[in-house]
Amino acid sequence: MKLNKCFKHAFNMVLHSKLRSWLTITGIVIGVAAVIAIVSIGDGMQQSLNAQLNALGGDIVTISPGFERGGGMFGMRGGGGGSSGPQATTKEIVLGRSDLQALKGLPDIALIDTNIRGSVDISYLGKTGKVSVTGVDQGVWSQITTSKIKTGRMLDSADQNVIVIGGRLASSYFDQPVGINKMITINGSAFRVVGILDDQSNSVYMPIQMAYQMIPDKTNDIYYTLVVKIRDENQLDEVITKIENKLMTARHVTTKSKDFSVSSRKEMQQARADTMNSMNTFLLAIAAVSLIVGSIGIANTMFTSVLEKTKEIGIMKAIGARNHDILLIFLFNAAFIGLVGGIIGIMLGTLLSGFMPALMGGLPMARGTAIVTLNSIFMALSVSVTVGILAGIIPAYQASKLKPVDALRYE
Amino acid sequence: MMETIMELKDVWKIYRMGEVEVPALRGVSVKIKKGDFVAIIGASGSGKSTMMNLIGCLDIPSRGSLYLKSQDISRLGESDLASLRGKTIGFIFQQYNLIQSMSAFENVMLPLEFLEYEDRKAANRTREILALVGLSDKMHHRPTQLSGGQQQRVSIARSLVSDPEIILADEPTGALDSVTGREVLEMLHSLWKKHGKTIIMVTHDLNLAKYASTTIELKDGEILKISKIRGIGE
Repeated sequence: MKLNKCFKHAFNMVLHSKLRSWLTITGIVIGVAAVIAIVSIGDGMQQSLNAQLNALGGDIVTISPGFERGGGMFGMRGGGGGSSGPQATTKEIVLGRSDLQALKGLPDIALIDTNIRGSVDISYLGKTGKVSVTGVDQGVWSQITTSKIKTGRMLDSADQNVIVIGGRLASSYFDQPVGINKMITINGSAFRVVGILDDQSNSVYMPIQMAYQMIPDKTNDIYYTLVVKIRDENQLDEVITKIENKLMTARHVTTKSKDFSVSSRKEMQQARADTMNSMNTFLLAIAAVSLIVGSIGIANTMFTSVLEKTKEIGIMKAIGARNHDILLIFLFNAAFIGLVGGIIGIMLGTLLSGFMPALMGGLPMARGTAIVTLNSIFMALSVSVTVGILAGIIPAYQASKLKPVDALRYE
Repeated sequence: MMETIMELKDVWKIYRMGEVEVPALRGVSVKIKKGDFVAIIGASGSGKSTMMNLIGCLDIPSRGSLYLKSQDISRLGESDLASLRGKTIGFIFQQYNLIQSMSAFENVMLPLEFLEYEDRKAANRTREILALVGLSDKMHHRPTQLSGGQQQRVSIARSLVSDPEIILADEPTGALDSVTGREVLEMLHSLWKKHGKTIIMVTHDLNLAKYASTTIELKDGEILKISKIRGIGE
């Protein structure tokens, strides 16, 4: 029998046992919908994570004195969040000019921003306060920072008594909003605001030379952190190793006595991605279980169908159906149930994936948008059809092996 | 001299019922000539259904040989037997054995689908055969929408559609009233006479056997008598 005829007969079988077929299809629908929803949410989270990674600068490496990681990470966030700065294990450990020179010798590094940070008194139109000031190498800062300017401009290499301030500091820290070209007093000296950042921080950025004068107890050429932009983001791990080796040589320390830390934002994001992957795997495992239950439903339906159609199988065999014709008709029947279940499951899964991020809104990892890709649709369809066929193999084989003489006698 | 279309040589069919072996046919040997109208008769339990299953290639003998057009079918596998059945034998069953979910047209066309006929050719042939049995106007009816006689005519049409040389009828009138039964038998008789088919009919009704030209009488799994008769139509 031709394949299209086998398919036609399989389709008729589904049509003539509507209720049972639909119940079986429902089992597959649930499994596929769960897989689609989970995969699409996973894809959405992945994409959102990638976007976050890019926005944060995957090519930025921060070097801090001391061997406790993490402290240096906060330097690039515009000084917000009340960070306590690098935690050196010993007070004397600092980053200085020799470290800067050593890093400048590495061809993999594109830019180096030296910065210092400290707390200063600030006042504007009579309102005073205390904020954290970051002194940056104004020539490179604008090229390294991931902060965006809302109004005005970034710092320039020729700048002296000017500052760039965070969005919240400009809008709500003082009694009146601070605009571009307004003068703010820091530790008694007046600074002109040239730029306001597009963020919600109270940070203040100024040229590093000015910061040395404004922040108490700071020595020239001693840095809070060195922020490095590398040439090739894909070489991040290799470059981190090179930086570490170079600095260990320059500072005469070994791996054991290392007195500085090198960190990248990718590491933090990677940890987040790993957690997300584990969660996805767990959810997928649950979805897979429902697919397995669905496939058992198909097998059950097929066995019942073979029993119910024993006589018809006998008739078909008597009038010329070969074993493989019967096998194909029953396999197509099972595959068809899988296919229809898959298609409806994809539609339901797509619908669900639209709601899920909102339901999971409380979880930081679920803040992405669910994305149903062609890939996941193809995967779900192949899985559902394969599940259908696998579940149908044994009953179909059983049907094909029925002896016509026995099948005809079956009532 | 007519050629032999089917030959049974010392055919035994033994069924196992638990530990016990029950022989349904015991060393049956018979030749069926091409173009003959054979009635296999016998009481219930005489082995006529078993013999029909073997002649219809639905089953293979436990011992002995069964030749269909000189080919020993007792050595064939299930799929080869199926192909052979599809091409050579048309079945008419007592209970019609139509597929309930299919229309008369689909039921009749089914053997051609197994033989992988081209669609249009199959459809034309199906219409032609349904016209031959007088069911042109009922071809899209389901079996449940047809009378017993009409269903049996669909069954006859199905048996004829692939133009087999042998028509095997198992108690073809068993489920019909006498008038309809006679119509069906006359149709079979006409197929034999006009179309030269070999008809093998299994029946317990001696009156039906009168339509045949040869009767094979079975008793307890053995051939009691083979008679050449001048049937009703001769």
